Amino acid sequence: MTSLASRPQSRLTVSAAQTTTAAVRGRAVPRRWGRRLYLAANIAILIFLLAPIAIVIVFALNPTPFIQFPPVGVSLRWFEKFFASRDFIHALGFSLEVAAMTTVAATVLGASAALAIARGNLPGSRLIVATMLSPLMLPAILTGLALFQSYVLLDVGRPLWGLVAGHTLVTIPYVVRTTLAVLHNFDVRLEEAAQNLGASPIRTFFEVTLPLVKPGVMAGAIFAFIVSFDQFPVSLFLVAPGSETLPITLFNYLKFDLDGTIGAASVVSILLAFIVVIALDRIVGLRSYVKL
Amino acid sequence: MTASSRRFPLSRRRLLTAAASLGAGVIAAPYVARAEEPVLNVTGWGGKWGDVMKAEIGPAFETEFKCKLKTDTALPFLPKLQASSRSAPVYDVLHTNSNEQWAAVEMGLVEPKVDPKLVPNIADVYPYAVSDKIVGVCIFTSAIGLGMRTDKGYGNVTSWKDYWDAKFNGARGGYVIPANSLGQAFVMMCGTLYGKGQTDLDAAYAALEKLKPIKLVDFTGAMEKLILSGEAGIGILHDSGIYRYDGQNQPVDFVTPSEGVLSLEQVLSITPGSKVKELGNAYINYMLRPDVQKRLAETVWYSPANKKVKLDAKYDAKLLTTPEKVSKLIQVDWKWYNAQKDEIDSRVNRIFRA
Repeated sequence: MTSLASRPQSRLTVSAAQTTTAAVRGRAVPRRWGRRLYLAANIAILIFLLAPIAIVIVFALNPTPFIQFPPVGVSLRWFEKFFASRDFIHALGFSLEVAAMTTVAATVLGASAALAIARGNLPGSRLIVATMLSPLMLPAILTGLALFQSYVLLDVGRPLWGLVAGHTLVTIPYVVRTTLAVLHNFDVRLEEAAQNLGASPIRTFFEVTLPLVKPGVMAGAIFAFIVSFDQFPVSLFLVAPGSETLPITLFNYLKFDLDGTIGAASVVSILLAFIVVIALDRIVGLRSYVKL
Repeated sequence: MTASSRRFPLSRRRLLTAAASLGAGVIAAPYVARAEEPVLNVTGWGGKWGDVMKAEIGPAFETEFKCKLKTDTALPFLPKLQASSRSAPVYDVLHTNSNEQWAAVEMGLVEPKVDPKLVPNIADVYPYAVSDKIVGVCIFTSAIGLGMRTDKGYGNVTSWKDYWDAKFNGARGGYVIPANSLGQAFVMMCGTLYGKGQTDLDAAYAALEKLKPIKLVDFTGAMEKLILSGEAGIGILHDSGIYRYDGQNQPVDFVTPSEGVLSLEQVLSITPGSKVKELGNAYINYMLRPDVQKRLAETVWYSPANKKVKLDAKYDAKLLTTPEKVSKLIQVDWKWYNAQKDEIDSRVNRIFRA
């Protein structure tokens, strides 16, 4: 037998349950819409990011010597022209060479600077950080012009090392920034523990410090490679006759011949950048650094 | 001596000496190389011009004059020349269009004229190539006129004024004037057509206003594509920008307006601080040789400045190769234009932004 007291309670329980279900339903509807909106926003951003690449691919595969939409067919003639051009291939190889040298220089210098800033108890470290990041604030074309003028004054012409130095200057901030981000959360006690257990400072650096800051250093190195490979304003003044990078060669080409070869060159550039990232993933395991 | 140093007999002193020697060698190498053969630094174009210069004409010059020819094809040339020392300029010979030459001469970066005694082939050029509108010497010219589609049924176009015809509304191609010398030359043509002459800017601005709607591009290459793709039915273009598609079955043609064609000159000048002026003059003389002129003219469809050049019939029929044809050239007063450039840029930007 159900007690009198329990009746209203059960009624209350049922009505509370109904209220809860309605509230959950009420909350679920906006949540579902919110999720849809979030998904739509992400798709829109993806389209925004990928649209230029899609247009470049369409341009590269379209057989007509001008941009035409919709495309009238699929052809590899611009890729053939690109790979048959000694100028383009030389420029591609030269860009890779410069980007590789820049990556090494910017990574070593940037990572060392970040370590010194974060761990060196340097006076005015904030000022040093601002100085290290300053190349990003100055228009790169002015950096290129200033370096060009310096080289002319030194009467060294426009050497390869001068171009690499210019690229290194504008890529160091990326390495400094990403390495500092990792060092910000670095647990110094791990190093102290290693040294308490008898590790020398050098061993501690290579076996404890470096593996822990590696994600930041590698992320910076990838930025350095990509920024150098695509670098245009700094190179504009620093490339020597006969040693033009790919972006400069493309710019000079499109002043006279605006055909699909530009698209083909861009597709090859994108693929190369992609291959470099994949290769780095294979070598150092980028996937573990994705959190960055 | 320690065991390790016996295995690897390189002391710190030796290492430092070797490194210093290597460093000195690397730094000195360009100077040593320079001492061996003179180097002539010039500017030049890319595209087909660059191809033929690199493959044939440049190497032949190097062999004949026993020098190294370094051609910078990476624009912009003028800021680089400005940034370099006047006594050791980055270029010995500056090759640009006329407008930039005038800017360079105003800044004292190039010599105003080339000495005909040092460049004997100047004796054979058309008068326009050494006129008072030219700094240095003009080696080639293109005719700026109207490029247009032949398949759109626009009818006969014979005058610059046809460019304003309402039938071309929405199909008219023009330039971002501050960035393009064809566009700049056209501003002065507008003054000539609708006002008192090249310097009548008010008439030019009023005429430009009436060109809207118009599709604007930065480069002549982009204008070619605009016409080839059919996006524009008519556009201001140099003749070589149309003739280069000769034989490719494209429905495009070049119109020489009855009022005359604007001159787009390829000009060479010498920098005052050049250490190899003799070689620079030899280069200019070489570029004016009939055989060199013929090869380049037939490669890129530029009209040769040397009147002794005999082109093949196909090129001769279209390019400016006789005094009568050359008389249709209208040279632009770039010195005057450059002095007004800021004002013109600001005004035309306002016109086309609206």
